[in-house]
Amino acid sequence: MISEAAVDKTDPILLIEDEASVIAFLKAALERKGYSVVNASSGAEGLKQLAGGKYSGVISDIRMPGAVNGAEVHDWIQKNRPELGAKIILISGDTANSETQALLARSGTPCIEKPFRVHQLISIVEKTFGKP
Amino acid sequence: MELAVDAAQSRQLPEFLERFASRAARMLDSVWGAVAVFRGRETDLYSTVENEAVVSGALKSWIISSARESRIAAVVRALPRGEAASPVGQAVATSAVFVLISASDGERLGMLCLLRRRKSLDAQEKKLLHALASHAALSLENFRRFSQLEKSKRQWVEDIDAISDYIVVHDRAWKIVRTNRSLASHLGVPPVALVGEAMSGLRQIAETGSDLPCPFCRDTQRPREEYVAASGERIFLVSTSRAPGVAEDDTRTIHVLKDITDRREAERRYRELFDSIQEGLFFATPDGRFLDVNDAMVRMLGYASREEMLRADVSPHLYPAPAARERFLLALAERGVLRNYEETLRRKDGALLHTLQNITAVRDAQGRIAQIRGLMLDVTEQKSFQSQLQRERDFNQKILNTTQSMILVLDTAGLISYANRRCYEAGYREDELIGHRLVDWVEPSHRKDFEAALETTANGQQVENLELQVRRSDESMGHFSISLSPMRDEQSAVNNLVVVMTDITDAVLLQAKLAHSERMATIGRLVSGVAHEVNNPLAAILGFTDLLLENPEVPVSAREDLQIILQETQRTKDIVQDLLSFARQRPVQREPVQVNTVLRQTLKLRSYDFASHGVEVTEEFDETLGPALGDAQQLQQVFLNILNNAYDAVQETGRRGRIAIRTEREANSVQVVVTDNGTGIADPQHIFDPFYTTKQPGKGTGLGLSICYGIVRAHGGEIQCWNNAESGGSTFLVRIPIAAEQLAALAAKEAGR
Repeated sequence: MISEAAVDKTDPILLIEDEASVIAFLKAALERKGYSVVNASSGAEGLKQLAGGKYSGVISDIRMPGAVNGAEVHDWIQKNRPELGAKIILISGDTANSETQALLARSGTPCIEKPFRVHQLISIVEKTFGKP
Repeated sequence: MELAVDAAQSRQLPEFLERFASRAARMLDSVWGAVAVFRGRETDLYSTVENEAVVSGALKSWIISSARESRIAAVVRALPRGEAASPVGQAVATSAVFVLISASDGERLGMLCLLRRRKSLDAQEKKLLHALASHAALSLENFRRFSQLEKSKRQWVEDIDAISDYIVVHDRAWKIVRTNRSLASHLGVPPVALVGEAMSGLRQIAETGSDLPCPFCRDTQRPREEYVAASGERIFLVSTSRAPGVAEDDTRTIHVLKDITDRREAERRYRELFDSIQEGLFFATPDGRFLDVNDAMVRMLGYASREEMLRADVSPHLYPAPAARERFLLALAERGVLRNYEETLRRKDGALLHTLQNITAVRDAQGRIAQIRGLMLDVTEQKSFQSQLQRERDFNQKILNTTQSMILVLDTAGLISYANRRCYEAGYREDELIGHRLVDWVEPSHRKDFEAALETTANGQQVENLELQVRRSDESMGHFSISLSPMRDEQSAVNNLVVVMTDITDAVLLQAKLAHSERMATIGRLVSGVAHEVNNPLAAILGFTDLLLENPEVPVSAREDLQIILQETQRTKDIVQDLLSFARQRPVQREPVQVNTVLRQTLKLRSYDFASHGVEVTEEFDETLGPALGDAQQLQQVFLNILNNAYDAVQETGRRGRIAIRTEREANSVQVVVTDNGTGIADPQHIFDPFYTTKQPGKGTGLGLSICYGIVRAHGGEIQCWNNAESGGSTFLVRIPIAAEQLAALAAKEAGR
């Protein structure tokens, strides 16, 4: 069973991203800063991992192939893992479509646009998840 | 009595009167006696011949005037002095006795005059004189009647002879009693030569066809007969009367033969004409009953026969509206003759018949209409044909006048002979079209094409959808679609050309716009996909470059290379960002924006460059403009790009650059028009395509105007660009919709005005 306990900072960050090179870069950048990272290569896989494990935060690409995209991951967390509701960072490959724009505006979920600098990433991660 | 018979039998009146005068003179002891007979104003004197010598001329005159003057039955007058009559051996007469001879009705017939010696008359003598006078009167009267009878008889024969009809009288023995002269002269003999001849001799004249000895008798028992008898070439109307003759057992039969050959012929011809004529002929009473109609009339009105039409009173059926008949009678009474009178009648079967009639009224002595005679034409077919023609004409006219195409008719020389209403609605004047060459309105560089099309059409072939520039009535050029068709005369030679012209300028523009926006949308989708795909590897390149730079193990020389990678990755990122801007992937902040303000801020950014390079900028802003709805930031980018483009264009020409900026309201939009006098655009169709640039390599990415396009479209606005026709350079036009609340406010303001 998953406890109701608050997010434990020592838990890994779940990285949901289909692009291997981007995962490699994100993993390298975050681990170098002292974060532990677990990754899922699709939205569906991400949800599976979310259901079975404990994470300190979630970083998800918005546009992904397959049945589940970033927005749906976001909504699933809000519904099923509310303690992680404010621990989400979205990544967009282009200017988000109007539906996603509405989601971002509504929830205030931080979003980072590709391509981005390492310092931009670290700054937003520290702000959202806290320092490791 | 003896005298009276004598007189009646005598045909010689003078002889009788002289004898009577002489006898009266002897009986009354007179020397001379005479009878004066009054014939009108004349007086004839008959006297005893043997004593003629004793009465002088003067005495005779005196006797006549005295006889005429005398008004009483008997008078004795003395002879005038010196006029005594004294025959040899006898006594001298000195007085005259006048006795009136008057007819039974009192008319004065004459006077008995006696000259005597003795003056007085005794009673015996007076009685005798009166007896003589009444005797003479009777005789004179008889005589006069007899001579009148004679004269009348003679006259009668002359009259009979004067009649041109043949008259013949025969007795029971079939012998001719009399003929008149015309009959005798027809046979070439005097009338008397025929008397006593047999009637059968007249067979050569004509025959009734009976077996009787008389060729003209049919039924001898009838007192009167009338029939037509014919010979070879003549036709006679024979009228027969039978009358008892002088002898009791005799019967006189009188035939009068009237030659009716000509009349018959005329009648026959008339009837033939009447019946064979194709026009309806009729005779009718004023109350509407037909007296006679011809076959054509019967046919026209759909009756079975003439008899059927004459039998019934058909006029109530004939007139579908009784008022029409009243109107007709009134018009006829007024004018007497109706020419080409149009009337709709009803046939027996109920179908309507359109007629054209010529009517004459025949009036009686009192001036009332006694008969109506008329001729009737069936114009139903013409009428329906005519009305169909009229309908077709109206229909065609309506089409010609309501079509949105201009339709013109040209003669083979290309001169306009007709232009439909649309041409005039489009502003052309009749005097500049009719009689002028249509080709003159065609844009000069297109005239060759038009003339070729005219020739093709004149040779009988249709030309369709020829697209040409044609001068409009307001001198502007319009894009027209033109179709030409040949019009042929009866000999199927082309004598006219029909030109249908439609101004498709707007349609062409719209189509071009549509094609352009479709193309832009396709490019947008492509660019968006590419940008997305590029961003992933770009994110890895940028990220790893950053990580490498943060790695202290990386040597300085490699760091410099990494810096270049970082820099170029940044540039790539910018290009991708611009592409996404064009592809409308960037959200638009929709807020009321004062376009004039945005323009002024934008101009401020470039004012230094403009001023230092001598580019003159003129502003013509509508200060009453309401706010547009949009993103001030993005709109500034649009205007900046347009201004940069204009600046580059005027810089290239080398002459003094001018940029004019105008703002105005256009329908529900704010419109910004930027005009420059630069080099113009090589291909305005592609100016908004991504990477389309006319600039030197390295001077621009070719995305600036594409971004403008994306931004303006994301605003729901419009961006256009064209080369200026006359002044050179190019013009950019941007339209941004006005804020809805602003529109509502404007509408309220306008409504309240």
